Amino acid sequence: MMAVKNKITFAAGIFPSLFFYFVSLGATEEISAQKLLELVDENLWAETKFVSGRLIIDNGRKTRTLTQDSWMEGFTRSYSYYKSPAREKGTKMLKIGDKLWMYTPRTDRKILIAGHLLRQSMLGSDLSYEDMMEDHKLSHSYRATFSAQGFEDFAGVRCAILNLLARDKKTTYQTRQVWINQGENIVLKEERFAKSGKLLKRVLFEDYEKIGDRLFPRTMIFRDMLKENTRTVYKFDNIEFDIDIPARYFSQSILKR
Amino acid sequence: MNWNIASKNFRRQGLRAFLNVLITALAIIAIIFMLSLLNGFQAQATRNLVSTDVGGGHYRAPGFDILTPTKWEDITAPVPEVLKNLSARNKAEVLVQQGQLFPGRRLFPVQLRGIAMQQSLLHLPLAGLKSFSGKSAPEIIPAVVGVKMANKARLKKGDTVVLKWRDKGGAVDARDILIVDVGDFVNPRIDAGVVWLRLDHLRSMTGRDGEVSWVAVREYLGAVPGFEFHGIEVLMADLLALLNQDRINSKILWGVLMVLVCTSVFNTQVLNIFKRQKEIGTLMALGMDARRVVKIFMLEGAIAALWALALAAILGVPFFVWFQGVGIDVTHLSEASFPVRETIYPDYQPREILVSVVIVLVLVIVSAWALVKKIARMDPALALRGKAIT
Repeated sequence: MMAVKNKITFAAGIFPSLFFYFVSLGATEEISAQKLLELVDENLWAETKFVSGRLIIDNGRKTRTLTQDSWMEGFTRSYSYYKSPAREKGTKMLKIGDKLWMYTPRTDRKILIAGHLLRQSMLGSDLSYEDMMEDHKLSHSYRATFSAQGFEDFAGVRCAILNLLARDKKTTYQTRQVWINQGENIVLKEERFAKSGKLLKRVLFEDYEKIGDRLFPRTMIFRDMLKENTRTVYKFDNIEFDIDIPARYFSQSILKR
Repeated sequence: MNWNIASKNFRRQGLRAFLNVLITALAIIAIIFMLSLLNGFQAQATRNLVSTDVGGGHYRAPGFDILTPTKWEDITAPVPEVLKNLSARNKAEVLVQQGQLFPGRRLFPVQLRGIAMQQSLLHLPLAGLKSFSGKSAPEIIPAVVGVKMANKARLKKGDTVVLKWRDKGGAVDARDILIVDVGDFVNPRIDAGVVWLRLDHLRSMTGRDGEVSWVAVREYLGAVPGFEFHGIEVLMADLLALLNQDRINSKILWGVLMVLVCTSVFNTQVLNIFKRQKEIGTLMALGMDARRVVKIFMLEGAIAALWALALAAILGVPFFVWFQGVGIDVTHLSEASFPVRETIYPDYQPREILVSVVIVLVLVIVSAWALVKKIARMDPALALRGKAIT
């Protein structure tokens, strides 16, 4: 009888402990995954940015290189100017809020890229206009948890794999998966999924370099996983953070010859 | 008396008169053929549009305009109670969304059209979708495409291909679709670039439960709160404008034909009067007044017109009957998105034919009279010597 009572007392003690252990373990995991994502954002995020780079578009048949300068301010405003090749030279894109205008010198017109046009391929690349417009803190838009795999070796580095679930039903990609180098708080790989779970886009972040107090990837490789043999490499030749950007860069009046 | 003289004179003209009659007859045949073919084209295009897309008109979500593709995706609304209560034979609920298809892993922008399976108002080759059921779309979504779309995207029955779309909130989704059938759509406008789905599937895919872009109805039901009615004329405005332009063009051709006919008649009359001056002079010297001579010459013109009408009937009727049987193949027009892609048949409108024939006859008689009125001013003495007209 005594033995039975002891067993019950033991069980009564051990089960709540185990329950709280698992609950707290889960909570710790979630908090640390979210924290990790915040650290990644902190490393990459800047109020203003200037980027001069090359967009190397390989559509499986031929490769084109576009050079561009971009100025970005916060989440909402960005302006890009395409310098080459001759066909695209003078093309300008202006994003203000959720609107995107494009100006092409050949037509000498600005057009609002809206609706389904936002989902079309941008200048034949693996990025849609929407992807190009996307500039937000992942930790704000997504709730992060460690994936079931936990960790994986990627590019010779032990990476934590995070599952990101959109907080808002309006977010374009409802789920993502990111491979994070925990030691450096940098993303090495990202996969973007449809609601159904189908893999849509894969982004590789390479050639990290110390710029100021940040580690920033010099190369981003985009692949539209629904297309065959295509990839778009975005190479950043010059990056500057927290710079002053003239107000006229974010005005529609800049969209002219 | 006048008739007998005119008739004899007409017969004596021989080949010249026959050619005159033949040209006028061919012009009448050409005009009737041209107008009837246009009528047939319009009737067939209207029939195809009405039976496959327009019905008796659309009740559309306010602001929906298929010609502004950057905007219409989000212009959907729940079906109003009045339209919901209509029977399946009197309405067709349609939801239209944008999508991207990846046949052979190439990007192909498409229009996704979801249509209620119970409807019988529109005649569409979507039987392949009917066997699938359930409110939500299955893992692999069944779809039907048209022949034109299948050729362009290189798809065939049984193919599985990735489809990407947006839900109501804006989140991107993608799944495989199975081409359960390649349908033969008579209206290329709802074939090229269109993927047909079950309405319940498209609604569940996009999170637009109970919503439509429009409801096609058999007939106008009066104002429906929250929806705008677009009648057949509005929905076919582009096609009607095109056909009107064609009618204007046909009138130009008609005018050219008439000028040719009138020139022929006029030319004959010039020759008649010039060569028959002595005859005119003799008639006038024997006491026939100038007005009667004019009447006789006009009667000759009228006889030519009547013979032309008879010849047009002899040559035209068998031709029209034969053509009504074989029609004209216009499959090439479907490439230009005309809603006609089968053989078209002329549509003969008696009133139109009568008006055209009367106009031709009047023109022929008037052109005959225009010259012979000179006879009234002729000096009989000069006419007898053949010097009244030089």
